[in-house]
This record gives sequence, structure tokens and C-alpha cells, in this order.
Amino acid sequence: MIVAVTSAIGVSVAIVIVLLIRGDRLRVANGLMWLIAAFVMAGLGFTPSVFDYLASMVGISYPPALAFSVAFGMIVIKLLVDDIHRTRLQIKHARLIQRVALLEYELKIVNDGEPGTQNDDKDN
Amino acid sequence: MQVCQRKHKCLVVIPALNEAETITEVIAKINESGYRNVVVVNDASDDLTAPIARAAGAMVISLPERLGAWGALQTGIRFAIRKNYDTVVTLDADGQHPPEHIESLVSALYDGQANVVIGCFPQRGSKLRQIAWHWIRNASGIQLSDLTSGFRAYDGQAQRLVAGWRGSLLEYQDVGVLLLLQRHHLRVQDVNVTMTERRVGQSRIFYNWSVVAYYMLHTLLLSAAKRKVRRATSGNRMEGVDLT
Repeated sequence: MIVAVTSAIGVSVAIVIVLLIRGDRLRVANGLMWLIAAFVMAGLGFTPSVFDYLASMVGISYPPALAFSVAFGMIVIKLLVDDIHRTRLQIKHARLIQRVALLEYELKIVNDGEPGTQNDDKDN
Repeated sequence: MQVCQRKHKCLVVIPALNEAETITEVIAKINESGYRNVVVVNDASDDLTAPIARAAGAMVISLPERLGAWGALQTGIRFAIRKNYDTVVTLDADGQHPPEHIESLVSALYDGQANVVIGCFPQRGSKLRQIAWHWIRNASGIQLSDLTSGFRAYDGQAQRLVAGWRGSLLEYQDVGVLLLLQRHHLRVQDVNVTMTERRVGQSRIFYNWSVVAYYMLHTLLLSAAKRKVRRATSGNRMEGVDLT
């Protein structure tokens, strides 16, 4: 039964990923990792003996515990990578907001002659 | 450099969020002290801060989205770099930082002993703030008397450093900026000034327990992570006139 459930989850996730990409809800680059994970999940569901073998290799008597540990580790890594990426995006976002504000101010000077400065411009 | 020349090459940056009640008086006092280049960075205020500041004679840069006090200050510093100002002085829009002390900060900066001069008033603040400073000093290793003062003067080198992308990682204008300066071996000096209580509005941090708790956890983690690792033979600390 566990084989069927794991495989079904894997296949379902893969289908959802493809549908999200198809519906322009997910970029291919972001969906790729999830698609690979879904195929790995489905594959392991169909061949549970792989986990039995790996568990015995590392001395774990209950093979699903190894599966949960690996899955949990992968999720933690994925979340961490996403947060690193999010930090980069937040920096870019903040700096772009600042740049827009600076350019809007300079545009206003050109259009309205708002108080400016005597100094020369220098690109940053 | 002559005093009038350096005043001409100095930009006063004021981050402002809903400070319509006080901004006119603050700008007027700055102008009275001889500093005519004032830029107010309007942090997406809900009130009339921007037009009031403009009417008071300041240059006004309005952020399209709220970035917080440090994001607004950094915008002003980026503006100063674009416009080739030598010195940036930052002060609060609530009137806590008396503009008559700007000259003390700028003079200390021009003495060449430091890249950043901080106007300190350690007596200010509640018992809670004093305890917070004590913890932050221990965590960061920075021994300045007033860690959170936003009344500062930056020279060109310090401006370029804090205006860069590393500066954009910071959420607050205080300890993170000091740690960034320390890490890049820039010198910080403190100068005693007097400050007044804010007349209207409230502190962005010390007004709500959950905000204070977040600020403390954030700052303590940052302090511990960025703390300078000192070799046994060197005793560099960011203390008073020194520096790293």
C-alpha cells in the first residue's frame, strides 16, 4: 500500500508542476527542482527495496525513518537556498525603489525646476 | 577648508515618516545653523510631510514604498554621492537632534581622526534602553557610549561603504552600520551633544514590546555574527576616538 501512496504522491506532484508551468504560474527554472524531486519520490515508491538496502547500509532498522530524514534534510536545504535567494531579491528590490525615487526627483527638477544642487551629477 | 566651503559641500539627510508636525521647524533650525543643503527622504508618509518639507525649502525625495528609517537614510546618502557632496550629516525629523551641534560633528570629521562622527547623548532613554545597549555592547564588542544615535556625520569613504549593497542588507541604522564600518577598518568617533525628547510621535522601536523583542533578537544575532574576531595580541576596539 505504501508503494502505491508514495508513487501516487510523486506522480501527482509532477503533474501539478507541469500544469503550473503550463498555466504560467511557475517559472521552468523553479519547477525543475520540484519535478526532479517528484520523480525521485515516485521512483522510490515503485522500488522500496532501494531504501531497505540503504537503511541496512547505514544501520537503520526502520527504513522509512531514513526516507523521512532524507526528505526532511532536503526540504531544509531547499528552504535555506530559497531564503538566500530571497535576501538577494530583497536587496535588489530595496535598491531599485531607492533608484526610482532618486530618478523621480531628478525628473522633477528637470520638469518643475525644484530646488536642486549646485554640484555636478555623478552616477552611482 | 573654510567653514562656509565645507557647509556648502555638506548635505543634511533627514529620513521622515509622518513628521508633518515637526519637519518645518527642524529644517528651519538647520538652515539657521548655516547648512542650506537639506534633503528630506519621505519614507512613504501618510501625511503631508513631503509638501510641507518642500515648502520649508528642503529637497524632497519620496520613496514609492516604505523602506524604514535606514532605507530612507541610505537613499539620502546615495543622493549625496550622486551629487558629489563631501559630507553627509544624518539627523531625525522629530527634533531630537539639535542642528546647532551639526558643526561639532562636521568639525570633528574634518579633523581627520574619523570617517564617521556620532553625536552621543548616553543619558537619554529609559532604563530598558540602557539595558538593551549593555547587552548589545557585550554582543558586538563595540564600546561606543550611544549605540543607537542617528545623529551622525559621514565622510566620502564611509558614504560609499554604507551606500553599497552590504548596507542594503541592514534593517536598522544603528549597530549594523557600526559593525559594517568596523569590518572595513573605518574609524568612528563619538562627540557629546545634548538631545531633547521627541515632542510628537513615537520611537520606531521602543514603543511596543513585540517590536522591541524583534529588534533585540535581530541586533544581538547580527552583533554576534559580525563581531570582530580579535587576535590575542591586538586589542582593537571601536571605542571613543578609536577605532579599528
